[in-house]
Amino acid sequence: MPETALVGSRRMLPALKGHGGASWHRWRYPFTRRTPLLIETDYNPTTLAAERRILNPRPILWLVALILLAIIPPVFGNNSFIAAATTFGMYAAINVVWQLQIGTAGIFSLASFATVGVGAYGTAVLSVYLGFPWWAMWLSGPLFGLVFGVFIAIPAIRLEGFYYALLTVGISELCRVYVVQSQPLGAANGGLFGADGFVPDWMHERAGLILGYYAALVLMIGGLTMYRMVNGQRLGRLLRAAPEKHEAFAEALGINYRAARIQVFLISSAALGGVGGFYATLLHGASPSLFMIDQLLLLLAMVVIGGIGTTEGAVLGTAIVVLIDKVFIGLGPSRLILIAGIMLITVLFLRGGIFGIPAQFSAWRGKRKSERRGLQSGKGGEVMPDEATEIADKQSIFVRRFDANLRSELKLLVNDALIEEHRTTSGKRRSDPLERVLAFFRRAAAADKYAVLAVRPFAEYRIVALSGRRGVPPRVVDDQVFHTPEDALHGVFLKRVQDLMES
Amino acid sequence: MDPYYLALTTITLASIYGLLALGISIIWSSLGMINMAQGFTFAVSGYGAWLVAQYISANGFVVVIGGVLTGALAGALIGGIAFIPLYDKPNFPLRSLIATLAISLMGGQCLLWIFSPRVKALPKIFGVGNIHIGPAVASYDKIGSIVCSAILLLLTLGWMKTSRRGLEIRAMMQNPEGAALVGVGLRSTAMSVMMVTGAMAGLASVLLSQNYFISPFAGTTPLVKGMVVALAGGLGSVAGALIAAVLIGFIEAVTAVGLGGQYVLITQFLFIIAVLLVRPRGIAGMIEHTRE
Repeated sequence: MPETALVGSRRMLPALKGHGGASWHRWRYPFTRRTPLLIETDYNPTTLAAERRILNPRPILWLVALILLAIIPPVFGNNSFIAAATTFGMYAAINVVWQLQIGTAGIFSLASFATVGVGAYGTAVLSVYLGFPWWAMWLSGPLFGLVFGVFIAIPAIRLEGFYYALLTVGISELCRVYVVQSQPLGAANGGLFGADGFVPDWMHERAGLILGYYAALVLMIGGLTMYRMVNGQRLGRLLRAAPEKHEAFAEALGINYRAARIQVFLISSAALGGVGGFYATLLHGASPSLFMIDQLLLLLAMVVIGGIGTTEGAVLGTAIVVLIDKVFIGLGPSRLILIAGIMLITVLFLRGGIFGIPAQFSAWRGKRKSERRGLQSGKGGEVMPDEATEIADKQSIFVRRFDANLRSELKLLVNDALIEEHRTTSGKRRSDPLERVLAFFRRAAAADKYAVLAVRPFAEYRIVALSGRRGVPPRVVDDQVFHTPEDALHGVFLKRVQDLMES
Repeated sequence: MDPYYLALTTITLASIYGLLALGISIIWSSLGMINMAQGFTFAVSGYGAWLVAQYISANGFVVVIGGVLTGALAGALIGGIAFIPLYDKPNFPLRSLIATLAISLMGGQCLLWIFSPRVKALPKIFGVGNIHIGPAVASYDKIGSIVCSAILLLLTLGWMKTSRRGLEIRAMMQNPEGAALVGVGLRSTAMSVMMVTGAMAGLASVLLSQNYFISPFAGTTPLVKGMVVALAGGLGSVAGALIAAVLIGFIEAVTAVGLGGQYVLITQFLFIIAVLLVRPRGIAGMIEHTRE
């Protein structure tokens, strides 16, 4: 068996040098056997040099992206850019946690921002009326999220898909109407403000902004870690075994998928509430815009543009939308039209957002290839040019081409005179064309090669085919019985000629 | 609490909610798409009617026709963008939902851009005054709303029952694949569904604008209410949508009179959550398998 599949697309990965101890060294997460990088060590078939390939480059890309995020805004950005980057960190955290609800738990809740809003309002109330400091607000935010999560999880037990999505839109609208009309929640001031902030008062404006940005970045990393902890571990595995329309199968396996879903939903609701607490300490309060359908739409736009159900999609989509919304603020209302336009184009043309493009492209390419292959006919065992790019061992391509050419040439030599010559000249000198044909036959691979079996020497001979594997006996081809070895050899020759002419 | 006033308010609200919810419900059951841009249709047709009233004629009939036609055009636009390119693609329900959301975001901002955030008011198409029906007192616009929406509802339902196109729509509601197999054109039928439901939203917009102003985002609340009514009635059921419209109109009227206007949404939502917990597909909803 060849090591790679004969047909199929091969991934192009850069080959790293290194041999000896370096080949087998692996980074591991502390106290576990798990490795962040999957490294494959291999020998190049041409140069025989040791090569290492990193099969999953994503952790490296994440690391580079996070380092860039940690350096670029504070060093190169002006104050408004840092503020926008802070918003990005917070929204990215919300979106990543939201992916747990949509992707992992499969509960299409559109109340993610409303959960953040409940956390923000709850902690702001605690701070304004009871004088909670910022760290207590951070700690109490998840509690509000959890309580709200329990409240909105009750309908999720019974409702499915769009019914639940529409209901959660309604719940956000309900929260907005309540907040806008409630006097204790600051209906008159357009929001409840005056909560404690985590940025100390003595800090300079820029230093305070940078502190806020790093806090938001840590929040985002916290969201990513949580996603990994939930989605990559037991709960995520359980739910991956129970995708939509396969719940009954999962239940038959003994997976309590409902409990797992609700558990994931509650965990992520608590996390969203925590983000709400962060929001309240960052902006010193909360405003009804947290419950606006437009905000929800922006959040959905972020997730859709990047690709629903993936963390990298959520983060990239957030970056794009926040960049357009907050940095190009001079465009006025047209920037929202731009965002909606990008969202519309993404959804019309892409199946899985920006990060789904590679998969969609290769699927399209494969489809076009197979269409082209379908149009071509009669390749005579030779490899077609477009198929050749997918075969790892290039030598096999030339072997097949040589074989095909040789066979077409030998077919011209075979005629009745040649066959008659073979029958009559056993053990004697033979003509050149016959020797060429026989040399080709003898060169065939051992598997399925014809051979003569002496059942009773000098009395009964039969034709068998070798198995080509050690320990596996040859199989009888047909029930023809020959009485001399010469006849049997001629019978083998006839069979081979027949196979050659048919190929 | 005046029972006649209550009944009248209930019927007025029910007729307008019925128009909105029926649109959403029919689109869901025949096209398999949740039209979140129904609110955009609503706002656009308000502006269409306003333009007609400004530049052509302030005659009530002409204004209504203007609103209805704009609604139908907006519906066709949404169908052309969100249904036609997507309906045979993978993951259609979610993608069309997001596409309609994008249209509604984009449309709202475009309206804001073109017409400025200043609200507009439609002329009182039914005139100002009261009419006495026995012991009850009703203003002209309430009576006008009820009559107009009843006429459009009856016309639509009659059209769906008797016409060839209505038969095609009903076939598509029952089994889209089967309908396609027996020669119902999915695209043309979908476009006519979108236009009819757009026209319904347009009429509802003109009728509601008798009491509220027209603004770029005026469609949000009617969209949420229409959706909620459609959900409670059961997506895909005409009778369910009408029953839910009456029930929710009644709850709104009772809450507004008994508790105060700010509690309307809260009581409505509690009602709907209760309904959905008991009947997850709404009062008369179809089971999922019918759609697949």
